Amino acid sequence: MILCTTDDVPGRTVTETIGLVRGSSVRSAHLGRDVMAKLKNLVGGEVTEYTKLLAESREQALDRMVEEARARGADAIVGLRFMSSDIGDDAAEMLAYGTAVRLG
Amino acid sequence: MSAREPTRDELLAMAYIDGELTAEGCAEFEQRLGASPELRREVSALRELELLACAAAPKEPMDHEWDALARDPVQRGALGLGWTLLVAAFVGLSAFGLWQVFRSDAPLALKLLFSALLLGGALLFGATLRARLRTLPLDPYRKVKR
Repeated sequence: MILCTTDDVPGRTVTETIGLVRGSSVRSAHLGRDVMAKLKNLVGGEVTEYTKLLAESREQALDRMVEEARARGADAIVGLRFMSSDIGDDAAEMLAYGTAVRLG
Repeated sequence: MSAREPTRDELLAMAYIDGELTAEGCAEFEQRLGASPELRREVSALRELELLACAAAPKEPMDHEWDALARDPVQRGALGLGWTLLVAAFVGLSAFGLWQVFRSDAPLALKLLFSALLLGGALLFGATLRARLRTLPLDPYRKVKR
């Protein structure tokens, strides 16, 4: 599956637009990670606990989007975007979306 | 390193992860997936491997410091002792609070309600923890770092 942030796939022709595909994921850190993250807030620097949390959500959302595109017979996803929002105090939501297409 | 040939199920699981199965093959495999915990674990392990391979990136300078800190006895000791004291204090204070409520002259109904609150919370937490531990081996994203 080819994933592109551009509106087309360079060197390939889009023969059919299948439509919007998306995947989302909301994940939270366990209490131990949250406590350590809060302590790191006091001293500054990268909060690796939350970097990891966001990366987990991103990969899961991406996989879900690809699964949907694959199930609908797509060859590629163009115009891929990510969006994040806060669902809870310590939960990260990532939404990945794009347009599934067939290539010639 | 194992030199054995992959089994048919392992090959099917790899094809499933890579989206190489036909629609019928995929449906058949998913049906078997629902019935076989071993197959679910296999698919999850392969997904995890794929994620790790995709996320393979050169280490950053700070990673070496984090690794060194994780091995440092002072750091490990401080974290271990800190967590132990924190958990012990939490458990101790909770038990002391409970003891004080039961020893007090508060009405029996209040004592029972307080007990129900604690027991309800403990049951909910236990059930949530059980669900997490049950699904943890099937969560391929837990090793994603960044």
